Amino acid sequence: MTYYRTTMIAALLSATAISGAYAADPIKIGVVTPLSGTYAGIGQQVKWGLELATKEVNAAGGIMGRQVELTFEDEEANPSVAVQKADKLFQVGKVDFLTGTVNSGSTLAVGQVAERAGKLIATTVSFADSITGDKCSPNVYRVNARAGQQSAALAVWLSKERPKAQVFYLGPDYEMGRSTVAAFKSSAEKVGASSTGEIFAPLDSKDYTQYFGQLRAAKPQVLYTSVAGNDTVRLFTQLQEFGLLNNLTVVGASGTVTAQNIGAIGKAAEGFVTGVGYSAEIDTPENKKFVTAFRAANKADPDLYGADSYGMVYAYKAAVEKAKSTDTDKVRAAFADLKWSTPQGEKTLRAGDHQAVQTMYVVRVTGGKFKIVSQVKGEDAIGPDTCKRH
Amino acid sequence: MRASHVLVGILVTASLIFAAVGAAMNDTFYLRLATEALIYAGLALSVDILLGYTGLLSLGQALFFGMGAYLSALVLMIVPSFWAAFAATAVVSAIAGLVGGFIVNRVRGAYFALITFGMAQIAAKVVYNTRALGASDGLIGVPVININLGIASISSASPAAFFIFVLSLIVIFYVLSAYLLDTPFGRLLIALRANENRVQFLGYRTMTARLAAYVIAAMIAALSGALYPMLRGFVSPELLFFATSGNAVITVVTGGAGTLVGALYGSLLLTLLKSVVGSYTEHHLIVIGLLFMGAVVFLPKGLMGVVRPAIERMLARETKP
Amino acid sequence: MSGAVEYFQYVLAPQMLIGLVLGVAVILVALGLTIIFGLLDVINMSHGEFYALGAFIAVALGTIGLPFWLLLILVPLVMLPVGYIVERGLIQRVFHTGERHVTTLLLTFGLGLVLEDTFGLVFGPNPYKPDIPIAGGVEAFGIFLPSYRLFLIVIGGAIIAAVAFMVYRTRLGAMVRAAAYDRHMAASLGVPVQHVYAGAFAFGVALAGLAGVLLAPIYSVFPTMGRDFILIAFTVVIVGGMGSIAGVVVAGLLLTQVQAIVSLYISPVWSDPIVFGIMVAMLMVRPQGLFGRLGHG
Repeated sequence: MTYYRTTMIAALLSATAISGAYAADPIKIGVVTPLSGTYAGIGQQVKWGLELATKEVNAAGGIMGRQVELTFEDEEANPSVAVQKADKLFQVGKVDFLTGTVNSGSTLAVGQVAERAGKLIATTVSFADSITGDKCSPNVYRVNARAGQQSAALAVWLSKERPKAQVFYLGPDYEMGRSTVAAFKSSAEKVGASSTGEIFAPLDSKDYTQYFGQLRAAKPQVLYTSVAGNDTVRLFTQLQEFGLLNNLTVVGASGTVTAQNIGAIGKAAEGFVTGVGYSAEIDTPENKKFVTAFRAANKADPDLYGADSYGMVYAYKAAVEKAKSTDTDKVRAAFADLKWSTPQGEKTLRAGDHQAVQTMYVVRVTGGKFKIVSQVKGEDAIGPDTCKRH
Repeated sequence: MRASHVLVGILVTASLIFAAVGAAMNDTFYLRLATEALIYAGLALSVDILLGYTGLLSLGQALFFGMGAYLSALVLMIVPSFWAAFAATAVVSAIAGLVGGFIVNRVRGAYFALITFGMAQIAAKVVYNTRALGASDGLIGVPVININLGIASISSASPAAFFIFVLSLIVIFYVLSAYLLDTPFGRLLIALRANENRVQFLGYRTMTARLAAYVIAAMIAALSGALYPMLRGFVSPELLFFATSGNAVITVVTGGAGTLVGALYGSLLLTLLKSVVGSYTEHHLIVIGLLFMGAVVFLPKGLMGVVRPAIERMLARETKP
Repeated sequence: MSGAVEYFQYVLAPQMLIGLVLGVAVILVALGLTIIFGLLDVINMSHGEFYALGAFIAVALGTIGLPFWLLLILVPLVMLPVGYIVERGLIQRVFHTGERHVTTLLLTFGLGLVLEDTFGLVFGPNPYKPDIPIAGGVEAFGIFLPSYRLFLIVIGGAIIAAVAFMVYRTRLGAMVRAAAYDRHMAASLGVPVQHVYAGAFAFGVALAGLAGVLLAPIYSVFPTMGRDFILIAFTVVIVGGMGSIAGVVVAGLLLTQVQAIVSLYISPVWSDPIVFGIMVAMLMVRPQGLFGRLGHG
């Protein structure tokens, strides 16, 4: 009774073309992701990325000759629901691996379920440092870049382009919003920037204009913000309305402007700079092939969530092939310092904290596209391994 | 009333069979899902005490449910003892119920609904922003505990055993509530629902009765919530969000307000429905919303309004000479 | 002394102006809510979703090329029959039960759930933003305000005045107020009470839809947008007095000014708790609000 987004049909069709492939016992990957509610846009990208990768892997013969099967469940961006669905996928669906959680609360809670079920999970979206930091788990992997890496890349850019800048911070008033601002602030101050003030607005604020007086009075050159989704649309368009974007460089977290909201933000997003692990404009043959295939399948560009989810399937494939098994302990051993190639370059899954190390890109929104303006090497952007459970 | 007892009897019997089958098949998921449904049934029970009997619609009962859950989680992480967590929750929720009760005691109807709604929103926001409580990530790491009942010990990790334990607790809550509502105090509450002004004219102290009902409901909600981290090993602010309160109200109305047993069946039904519908489409809210609206319009007494009279008729036929 | 004037000019006045725009927005949304509550005694928990419906219809019609000014008239007109049908088809069915407050609240709550999910189904989860119809801004005495926001203040005021005029100075309004005061008497005097009720509900949601169209260019459009205003709209209705138009205006302006000025000094996270606190205080001290009920005040 589970919502089978089966790729078996497409896979079987192409498998008959490649005679010799037989439908052995499939490898099951469970996906618990928000398909409804506020984060449905992100869940959609995750779904698209996973489906594309699975289709490609299956067409090429699957993993060790076995076809990959995805099963989707809606977590409604609620950790209680995520835990319930994860339990269902592990116990009833008997999946070998699980992915898809978006908010860090869900990732942490589902990670605990995985530990108790003796299975592994990976997140491709959650960027809270704690997931591979103080709340790390031997059963949880992170294939995307975390907040620390994003800040580090952006800070490097800031020190080159706006040295000794006066920065004003505006973030949403909750854990993620505050810690993202704090992380960037410390990176920025290390490279010479100074802070002229900070404001934390409630989540889902509809009108940011009441803070513009303070913003104007602070006379910053740079505005750093960690708002996301609909909040970004409002903040940026209202800044533009009040003419505040004219002499201001706006930078922010990688989740602030994405494929989901850039259409609604329109021209107000022009010039926005962020540190992120992916851009559809990355100029490599691998990425171009990926973007073309993604566009053809979904009539939309991939963003970081779609690309990282796509890459995750290949990581799992590489690990299982190295371990020659889907057994949890063997795959865990295979994941240690695993290197695999993705549309955004080669990534390494650090053995200690299960965090992906990758080249970080600094992108600037130009003409509605995320153009790359500079890059930071993986080892420079990644922070120290603070996970204590090895 | 007899029909209600029959229905509870059916529920308990079916649950025991379910547990036995589940244990035999080594099932984990369905037993845990059913346990979760029972925990939410406890919350629904508390909503019914207020709505079905006292006539007060609480749109923020999740406040106490979440409070119980967080308190229980915090206690368990320090002292992994069921009784410590349970006792702490009982005491704190009684006090919180008194405080909350004083605030809401003078209002009825829509005003009561809106105030309880607002209170839960504010509490949810506070928890969402408090680092010490895990902020938006919630708290993981609640340990598996062993519940010492003197003659036996039940592990919270054992699906069938914990299911039966939670079932017993919820049935105890039901029995206590049913008994209470059958006393003069209970009749007073029902009278309050019918016409609060007249009851005052008859010389009863409505303020005390209302406060008592509110505190009892708060405690039942909190004690049910305290069971959640034992089952799932974590708590998160979403437990206090409006969706939790809203679901409880939907459960009670669909099951049948003012019947208590309606809350139990309603919760099981809603959990089942969400799981099934959610697997077919992500737009399950449309389905549930439509069903709920249908219940409000066509089944004002809920499912129990249809089922109980049928059972009463069956019982009457049996006793005819 | 000049320090105080400068403070007023550069800090306080701009903030109050911004609060004024917000106030007008809140009043437009709450106006329909108070009419529905004051007249029909119905708590419309789906009012936010009708606000969203207006915005979504505007987005849909905008994409086929209709200009904004036409939408201002078209969208409320489209919402009128929708509201009428909802009232006659849905709300009337539970209207005559003893606990009208509770059942209509529950019914409209369910309706709100269905509407919100339907928006997501039809339009997708991502936000839309219509272009601002009047670009640029005006500057006077060193204070800057975008032209569209100035327009909102003006048209908001006009709409409020028109509604007040309709309710208090026309025959139609007299019928509405009579039906609110005593429906049986009004019926026996020849007032078509059923139609008045349905019409008032339709009018209330049309107002919400109009607010949706007007605010879409500055607040953007997405499926959960109905939740933006719900707490403050209900607070304004309760503080002002259920069914009182003057109450909504005064309470709406007052609360938003308080919010705007307080946010200069206290962390913004206290904004909602303060608003809620005012609602609770009013309910405990003077439950009928500042001005009392429609027809009764």
